[in-house]
Amino acid sequence: MSTRSYGLPTGFVTLMRREVLRYIRRPRNTFMPPLITNVLYFSVFGVILGNRVGEIQGVSYILFLLPGLVVLGAISNSFENSSFSIFHGRWNEYIQATTTSPLSYTHMVLAYVLSSALRGVLIGILITGVGAIFTSVTVRNPFYLVAFILVITVLFSALGVVGGLWARDFDYLTVMNQFLLRPLVFFGGIFYSLEVLPTLWFYVSLLNPMVYMVNGVRYGFLGADAVDVGPNAALVVLTTAAVAVVALDIVLFRRGYGLTE
Amino acid sequence: MSAIETEDLRKRYGDLQALKGVSLEVDEGEFFGLLGPNGAGKTTFINILVGLVKKSGGEARVFGYDVEDDYREARDAIGLAPQEFNVDRFFPIREVLVHKAGYHGVPKDVAEERADEALRTVGIYDKRDTRFHWLSGGMKRRFMLARAMVTDPDLLILDEPTAGVDVQLRHDLWEIITRMNEEGTTVLLTTHYIEEAERLCDRVGILDEGEVVEVSSPDELMSRGTDTVRVTLAGEIDAVPSALNGKVNGGADADGYEARVEDGELVVETRNAGATLAEVMRALDDAGHDVVDVEMSRTSLEEIFVEVTRDHGDVTRAPEGDA
Repeated sequence: MSTRSYGLPTGFVTLMRREVLRYIRRPRNTFMPPLITNVLYFSVFGVILGNRVGEIQGVSYILFLLPGLVVLGAISNSFENSSFSIFHGRWNEYIQATTTSPLSYTHMVLAYVLSSALRGVLIGILITGVGAIFTSVTVRNPFYLVAFILVITVLFSALGVVGGLWARDFDYLTVMNQFLLRPLVFFGGIFYSLEVLPTLWFYVSLLNPMVYMVNGVRYGFLGADAVDVGPNAALVVLTTAAVAVVALDIVLFRRGYGLTE
Repeated sequence: MSAIETEDLRKRYGDLQALKGVSLEVDEGEFFGLLGPNGAGKTTFINILVGLVKKSGGEARVFGYDVEDDYREARDAIGLAPQEFNVDRFFPIREVLVHKAGYHGVPKDVAEERADEALRTVGIYDKRDTRFHWLSGGMKRRFMLARAMVTDPDLLILDEPTAGVDVQLRHDLWEIITRMNEEGTTVLLTTHYIEEAERLCDRVGILDEGEVVEVSSPDELMSRGTDTVRVTLAGEIDAVPSALNGKVNGGADADGYEARVEDGELVVETRNAGATLAEVMRALDDAGHDVVDVEMSRTSLEEIFVEVTRDHGDVTRAPEGDA
């Protein structure tokens, strides 16, 4: 139990490796769907419709679109990965090989969260690459771009852990993803600028946490800022939320929620 | 030191009290069998030790480590082969073993050697690159044992390890488990095959309706049963020979026996057939009877098991019946 790899506990590194290999070895399942979906998004919304829309906040529509699509891909993959991995392991009971091992609850949670966040980051990079085929991509604020991507992928991976522990059947995962996550992301200003909304809906939109995530990543890429909340404040709030949800995951694992009888 | 020590261990599922205060001690290096009918609480007991079930009350320690407060140390000592197949579907079986050893802190290169060794021991090394799903039923059972041993546990817990396997495989698995026990691994075995417990275990505990009703060695248990000796004499008899009369009405007390005539044969019931037989033969010989044939049957552990659990069931159900 005391043996370590790369200066890290061996148990944690093993679980992390297992989790990453699970999706890396299935590129058709992991990388092909976001690749194809985003080629379609960029072609239809960016190129075909984009020419009619013109510029938004001083940039072409396709460039405006790119950060939102990166956020959409990164957070849905982070969430889906951790929720699926935990739920599938519970459904088939093989998660017991992990939960009956001498890994600490913190190490178990961190391995699930960080491996899923890594998947989100990889998909974000993939989508950026797809965007670069259609338009020239600039990164105005690399620090904010990296910081926002890391924080939101960790946040959604941690939320996915809660979802994976809560789910009682596969349709719970579908409900969480399709009816909760996707609408929030779509109304989070991926495809439009909040400035085009009537005043009431502009302020209603500010209650949607996705707005700050899309806005933050857009700030990283384009330097453009569509809402009054500065990237620093948004980053602090999102980081706090990510830490809080990871802490919640650890408490749930410790209590055995969804894992023990 | 005790390998397992529980005090007043309780588990409640809603209205069902699955464990009603189990106090049990398994010594280090012992081969201990946990017997009991379906639903007796055997799997619940095991799952509390490994952390799959949260206890409702009482204490449980593995090598002195509390299973909740010192869960890492307790779990590190345990290798578990559960009754249900619960194996990672995404990876070939060798990799599944490497992961399991890794979770226990074994570095990757050592874990790979251990995985190969475990697969060779259970005889499925040539299937190392196959996923669990594609193994035959017997190979799946072999793999469950390999996964339990890959972490080199001090306590091996086997929950019905030979359920549904053929005789040859059962003997193979017994051989492996016995060897591990001889090398110092404590073994806790649950089984429905009484013969398995009789052959392998130093002691057995009988669990019924969430309570320990008996802890004893298989020999001790069997000595409590009644053996039967059937003696065929030359010529049919219709009464117990007078040489044995002194014992007839006294019943089968601790040292005695009870004799009767059945179908013209002398039937003697005793606690210890070996000792009784000589005495009976001598008495018959002295009385001038010619013995033609002797048949002796010993009580099986299975019969004792049924008796013990039935008696316990009668006792625990009685108040409900009276109400």
